Amino acid sequence: MAEIFVLAEHRQGQLRDITFEMLTKARETAEKANADLTAVLLGKNIKEHAKILSEYSKKVLLVEDDKLENFNSDAYQKVLTYLIKEHKPTLTIIGHTSYGVELAPRLAAALNIPLATDCLDFGFEGERFTVTRQMYGGKVNVKAALRKAESYMVTVRQAAFQAQKPLVPLNGQVEEIKAPLTEEITSKRFLEYVLPPPGGVDITAASVLVGIGRGVKDQSNIPLMEELAKSLGGVLACSRPIVDKGWLPSDRQVGTSGKTVKPKLYIALGISGAFQHVLGMKNSDLIIAVNKDPKAPIFSFSDYGVVEDLFKIVPALKNKINESKAQKTP
Amino acid sequence: MDIIVCVKHVPETAEAELKIDATGKGIEKAGLVFDINEWDDYALEEAVRIKEKFGGTVTAITVGAEDSDSTLRKCLARGADKAIRLTDPKFIGSDAYATAKILYSVIKNMHFDLILTGAQAGDDGSAVVGPVLAELLGIPHATMVKKIEWGEGKAIVNRELEGGLEERLEVKLPALFTVQTGINEPRYVSIMGIRRAMQKEIKVMGLADIGLNENEVGEAGSWLFIEKLYVPPVEKQAEFLTGSPDEIASKIVEILKSRGLV
Amino acid sequence: MNFKLTDEQMEIKRAAREFAEKEFTPELALEYDRKEEFPLELYRKAAKLGFTSMRIPEEYGGQGYGVLEECLVVEEFCRVDPGLGVAVSLGNLMVPDVLLKHGTEKQKEKYIPPLAKGEKIAAAAFTEPEHGSDITRLDTTAVKVGNEWVINGSKQFITNASIADTFIILCQTDPNAMPPHRGQSLFLVEKNTSGLEATKLQGKMGIRPCVTGSLALSDLHVPEENLVGELNKGFYYALELFDGTRITVAAQAVGIAQGAFEKALAYAKTRKQFGQPIINFQGVSFKLAEMSMKIEAARLLTYKAAWIYDHEKPSPAATSMAKAYASRIAMEVTDEAIQIFGGYGYLADYHVERFHRCAKITEIYEGTSEIQKLTIVNFLQKQP
Repeated sequence: MAEIFVLAEHRQGQLRDITFEMLTKARETAEKANADLTAVLLGKNIKEHAKILSEYSKKVLLVEDDKLENFNSDAYQKVLTYLIKEHKPTLTIIGHTSYGVELAPRLAAALNIPLATDCLDFGFEGERFTVTRQMYGGKVNVKAALRKAESYMVTVRQAAFQAQKPLVPLNGQVEEIKAPLTEEITSKRFLEYVLPPPGGVDITAASVLVGIGRGVKDQSNIPLMEELAKSLGGVLACSRPIVDKGWLPSDRQVGTSGKTVKPKLYIALGISGAFQHVLGMKNSDLIIAVNKDPKAPIFSFSDYGVVEDLFKIVPALKNKINESKAQKTP
Repeated sequence: MDIIVCVKHVPETAEAELKIDATGKGIEKAGLVFDINEWDDYALEEAVRIKEKFGGTVTAITVGAEDSDSTLRKCLARGADKAIRLTDPKFIGSDAYATAKILYSVIKNMHFDLILTGAQAGDDGSAVVGPVLAELLGIPHATMVKKIEWGEGKAIVNRELEGGLEERLEVKLPALFTVQTGINEPRYVSIMGIRRAMQKEIKVMGLADIGLNENEVGEAGSWLFIEKLYVPPVEKQAEFLTGSPDEIASKIVEILKSRGLV
Repeated sequence: MNFKLTDEQMEIKRAAREFAEKEFTPELALEYDRKEEFPLELYRKAAKLGFTSMRIPEEYGGQGYGVLEECLVVEEFCRVDPGLGVAVSLGNLMVPDVLLKHGTEKQKEKYIPPLAKGEKIAAAAFTEPEHGSDITRLDTTAVKVGNEWVINGSKQFITNASIADTFIILCQTDPNAMPPHRGQSLFLVEKNTSGLEATKLQGKMGIRPCVTGSLALSDLHVPEENLVGELNKGFYYALELFDGTRITVAAQAVGIAQGAFEKALAYAKTRKQFGQPIINFQGVSFKLAEMSMKIEAARLLTYKAAWIYDHEKPSPAATSMAKAYASRIAMEVTDEAIQIFGGYGYLADYHVERFHRCAKITEIYEGTSEIQKLTIVNFLQKQP
């Protein structure tokens, strides 16, 4: 029977959300394609993880080894090459995370398995295997097909699928496999994790956030944005380009490579709404976005939108807020 | 240190309105400004800084049409020593995998200590070319690199993980790194740079020069085929507030008041 | 015949545009327009990248290009913001140029490299309170005393007067010369020389980040070696300089017009009235068509004058045509841009009014449009 692999992702003792998102989508795909769902778990001292995964899959391939203690794509590639050659899965699903990006393309090339990365959706359509992904920073969706092959590989965007537990646990069987890692991996060695420097402001604790993006144009405009945030009793947050330019410290960054926030109010100024940012703020209670481009993706995630130059809106808004405060405190 | 930087000439779309073209498989390019891919811009800058510190050469290389020359000239003006453009009608339709094979066929014959690419391209966002190229060349790689330090025959890199976390890896050289934005601050093109760049030649090579079979490139050599482009469906559409800036501001304040936020 | 810029020229244009778009932000432009201060940091940054020394040879720290390449930079700078653009591009105005043509090797080596690198700022003092368009007679005198010259008089409307490190000052050295302009000479003067006092003028209509001032010269002693070129040739040297600088003023005008036009075009595409973008109305769209025609014509005249200057004998007529025409259409185009913006165009925050205010100076300085027309007539009269 055909088999679908999902590579479980975990770090520092935690299975990551993406793992369950992939398993949920894989379960649906496996049912349609009449295939078995297998979770692949690599690491060290992770039997607990295997137990959890067994509820979500028909089988768990568990490979434990000292060399797999921390993620190392070279070690993973060796193990996965062995497993894929052995099991010949019709599809291997990996997260489009920093681990997946490091691992999947090289693994696919080594095995000559057609790969599509950062997929929002995928599935077998008769003889074909098709995917949905995005281009141009999320402004355009693409339907694409992979070259016909015995085996396919995809990496999946975080939060593209909602994780759901099976109604009845699948009680998959855990199969322990000895790692085919005889030699030391010397090409690349994991040294340590580096925690972000402790910052002065915890944006995850703020109830009002003013998020700024590329549209802010210049560092000299940041004080104006800060004033708006202050008038609302909130703090300034930002999307990636602002941190890249060094205009705000990295602890202010919202998104996949920054913080996930859920304030009562999130005002997005000059943020186009690339998914990396949106993932970090889309669950805010109220989202108001200001952007010059009426087609900016941010408007699909906002409650209210303003298509205008933010430099016209921000001063006006600041004044109105201050006026309204003045009325309250005579 | 001899460094190769792989770059791509892409349209700037962050602030542009995009339209899907008549074929349904691409976007209308008229009116768009093309420039070096943002991630590659950081990769190039990093390469030039390494060269300025340790000596050696920087070679910029691209797969693309003739108009990619402006991106290559920008690389030369910013400090690259050599530029190579890989152009052939047969290359059209190449996905990231086929592009990596084309780059490999040229780079395998070159001397290098380090290869840098952007972590991804702003157009297709695949993040595939770098690691595949490393596999074909049989050299170690690291992706989404935010910092590089140097040791004897090795580099120590910081990779970006999720949620502000990073990891440090030790990687043997020669290696390939894909560079994340923010690793440095790319410099402006200077007039002196342009003057120097104009004295340098852009080497152009086609399919016949690189020893690949035409089935290995273009659509024939690709993994992924675009079937159609479409505007992403709207999950939720914001209610648009209109009027003069003052009127809009008043409307926002009303909304905030109704929710007790002001 | 070839109307295409070379690849190199295209790269220069692109580099200047990229720099200006990132550095001359609308907020910075408004701020400097308000405070009327020279953007020193910006000037140094631009100079370091070579944008302010296009015409200075490499051996003196410059870029070794011609007037055309300089015009490309000036045009792109002014397109993004005329105030900052003009201020930055005039930081080393005229001094390197006159020294290259007539200075001694010692003068060149001493004065040009710091100006090329943006470490110093230059000013050229020709105009006087009583002598604007007509500098054939001057009230400022230089009298030889021993091996020094002693200068007395005053100068007016001098770009960079209050911030310059190096001045060239045009003086009457032979009071009896007939006609008087045959008795004028140019002197190099360094700031902090006793007897040199600069006062900044406030309240200019436009190009406000470009500081302008007056000079009071009282018993200002300069050593003999500070004479530029030959004695009593100063007037001719000054005229020669105008052949080049007037073309760059035309480039300023083209850039100003282009910048305002692009803003108006973008606005016309998005501003809706009567249920549709206003560009759909002929009253607006024809304006835009006219604006683009005028800009293109002015640009061609400017590039042609620059090309002639770089490749042939400078042609005062071609230069004057470019300057008079470009400055005129800059006024017209920026005026229409405000009209397209309607009420918003009258507000500083929408920027086009600043472009209009800045455009006016191009009809005045480096020879008014009337003076340009006199030059053209002079040329026409000599035609067979």
